[in-house]
Amino acid sequence: MKQLARHAGQLAAWALFLVVIAAFAAGPAFSPVPEGHGELKISMAHLAERIEPCRQLTEEERQALPPTRRVTEVCERGRVPTLVRVRLDGELVIDRRVRAAGWQEDGRAYLLEFQPLPAGQYQLELSLRDSPRAQGYDMQRRFQLALEPGDSALLEIGDGDVALRLPDRN
Amino acid sequence: MTTPAMRTMPGPARRLLARLELPLSRAFEGVHNPMHHLGALTIFFFYVALVTGIYLFIFYRTSLEGAWASVEYLTREQWYAGGIMRSLHRYASDAAVITLGLHIVREMIRGRHKGPRWFSWLTGVPLIWVVLWFGISGYWMVWDELAQYVAVSSARLMDWLPIFTDPMSRNFISNEAVSSRLFTLIAFIHLVGLPIVAVLAIWFHLLRVRRPRINPTRKLMLGSLAALLVLSVLMPVYSHPPADLDRVPLSLDIDWFYLAIFPLMSVTSEGFVWLVAGGGTLVLAALPWLPPGRRTPAAEVHLPDCTGCGFCAEDCPYGAIDMVERSDERNFKLEAKVNPDLCVSCGICTGSCPSSSPFRQRRPLTTGIEMPHFTMEDFREQIDVAADKARGALLVFGCDHGPRVDRVAGPRTHTVSLPCVGMIPPAGIDYAMRSTGYSGVAIAGCEGCDCHHRLGDDFTRQRIERERQPGLRRRVPRERLLTVWTKVGDEHRLEQRLSDFSLHLAELPAGEEQSNSRQTGRREEEVQ
Repeated sequence: MKQLARHAGQLAAWALFLVVIAAFAAGPAFSPVPEGHGELKISMAHLAERIEPCRQLTEEERQALPPTRRVTEVCERGRVPTLVRVRLDGELVIDRRVRAAGWQEDGRAYLLEFQPLPAGQYQLELSLRDSPRAQGYDMQRRFQLALEPGDSALLEIGDGDVALRLPDRN
Repeated sequence: MTTPAMRTMPGPARRLLARLELPLSRAFEGVHNPMHHLGALTIFFFYVALVTGIYLFIFYRTSLEGAWASVEYLTREQWYAGGIMRSLHRYASDAAVITLGLHIVREMIRGRHKGPRWFSWLTGVPLIWVVLWFGISGYWMVWDELAQYVAVSSARLMDWLPIFTDPMSRNFISNEAVSSRLFTLIAFIHLVGLPIVAVLAIWFHLLRVRRPRINPTRKLMLGSLAALLVLSVLMPVYSHPPADLDRVPLSLDIDWFYLAIFPLMSVTSEGFVWLVAGGGTLVLAALPWLPPGRRTPAAEVHLPDCTGCGFCAEDCPYGAIDMVERSDERNFKLEAKVNPDLCVSCGICTGSCPSSSPFRQRRPLTTGIEMPHFTMEDFREQIDVAADKARGALLVFGCDHGPRVDRVAGPRTHTVSLPCVGMIPPAGIDYAMRSTGYSGVAIAGCEGCDCHHRLGDDFTRQRIERERQPGLRRRVPRERLLTVWTKVGDEHRLEQRLSDFSLHLAELPAGEEQSNSRQTGRREEEVQ
């Protein structure tokens, strides 16, 4: 009888162990985005203008350099931060000033944002300032964004081009 | 009769833990209680995941197109082997998280992370990360919607750290951005890199532990494997639809054991997850020193009594004793040397020392190696303190970490609580019966495979059975000796066993060992 009770206890212990594993190994389910939502990814890898424009060396300056290093033009390394503004139906959803990568801030400016959005039609407007100017934008684009639940659209900002990629539903 | 003050009383949390574990001890006969083998079970589940993982990898294709399809083939077409192997792989990994978590909590509650044990605790902390990386990287390999979520989320987590100039997440912005080489890389990390790191980390974790128990009992191995197999058959693991980076998964059946940080990140932020993970790791790592406590004094070698036999060095569960060249004039080659940084003050070395004999007519009584806070003189005094009432009475040796023997003390029961029952020298049992005149001796220590100092119960048993030196002399009547291995909080059972033992003793005829203590050469102060 005691042996039977022991075996029953062991079975119960293993059963409890399995129940705990089964309960959390594949659930409860989780939704990364709210129901009826999609996602807009904004990805940028953009080379902005230099803070100081490149300058031609004068003949005197060239002569002062060692013969093997007599370049005609010198460029400061730093690049201006890139201002990115994204509006959806006129509402500002992204407003970021992205510094160029690297210790000298001489690389591309990288940005990656994930924006959950309710499914629907949107007027997407991208404004970019990547020069030392204080006002206005160097690039502006408008796109029509049609988002269905579960869609993940991609706004890709490169060095000179911008594209909005919508999911292929075929 | 008197009971000496216990040095470290088990706190309420420890007593509660022991109470919760009692039903398991009843069912698994103590020694097979899974709670006593949590670390070993974690390693066993790692083995299961390793073997099943090798099988899965034979069929796995490390390419963007092949990853999901090959796992799907294993799951659906080869369900009888590959499918079960996959489920077993997943469930063994999940089981490892459960046993690992319980192992951490249990060791902390039992205070086994403090003092000289800090090293094992600290080197165990990175193992938590290794286990998590194992799980996360494994989920990448399936390349289904869950893998997509895990890949993007873990890349975003990494991007929060100021390491990468080009965000890692940009590798997952579109289906075209993902390269087949990713799967070669992740397979290498999951199958080669992390197992090597895990084995090294386990080695470090056990470095300061002598005779580590890296395998659970056979019964537990078979039981847990059978249980996981049953679950694998009843609830096979399936993949989500293949990953599509043009879509965002709407509902995911998350493995909360490994992936809970990602939903946490989704509802909070990457920074918050790092704060929890980093802060939690730091707090865990600092626990051995929080709050700072006073250390129990380490064992001390008394050279005039040390013959350099090496039994103490052999028995020390933490390798705190080295045998070094003799430093005095005596004609022995070696002497014991204690490393106080490794000594947990269990006193097992005192129990192993052949010089630890209360029969010796010396005052104060010394031995080759002993604990400054509980010397052999104290030990003999505790036995003798009730000598006038010893005849026909019962002496119960207990352990500060096992059942509270002071709770069973009575007019005919004298109790002595020690740092560990492994501290009892076999000659002490002989002395209690032969010289002091107790009618019987009971030893109540921690339950099988659950000794607070790891090996005290094993060594005591082996010394009684004369399987380990110094062995209990043959002349000691074994029918007058009782061993009870149980948990703190299970004093009722101890009381019951002692009551039965007393009845048993009453039925025994008085042997010559039960002669008057004054006729059998008692300690010198009593003889005089």
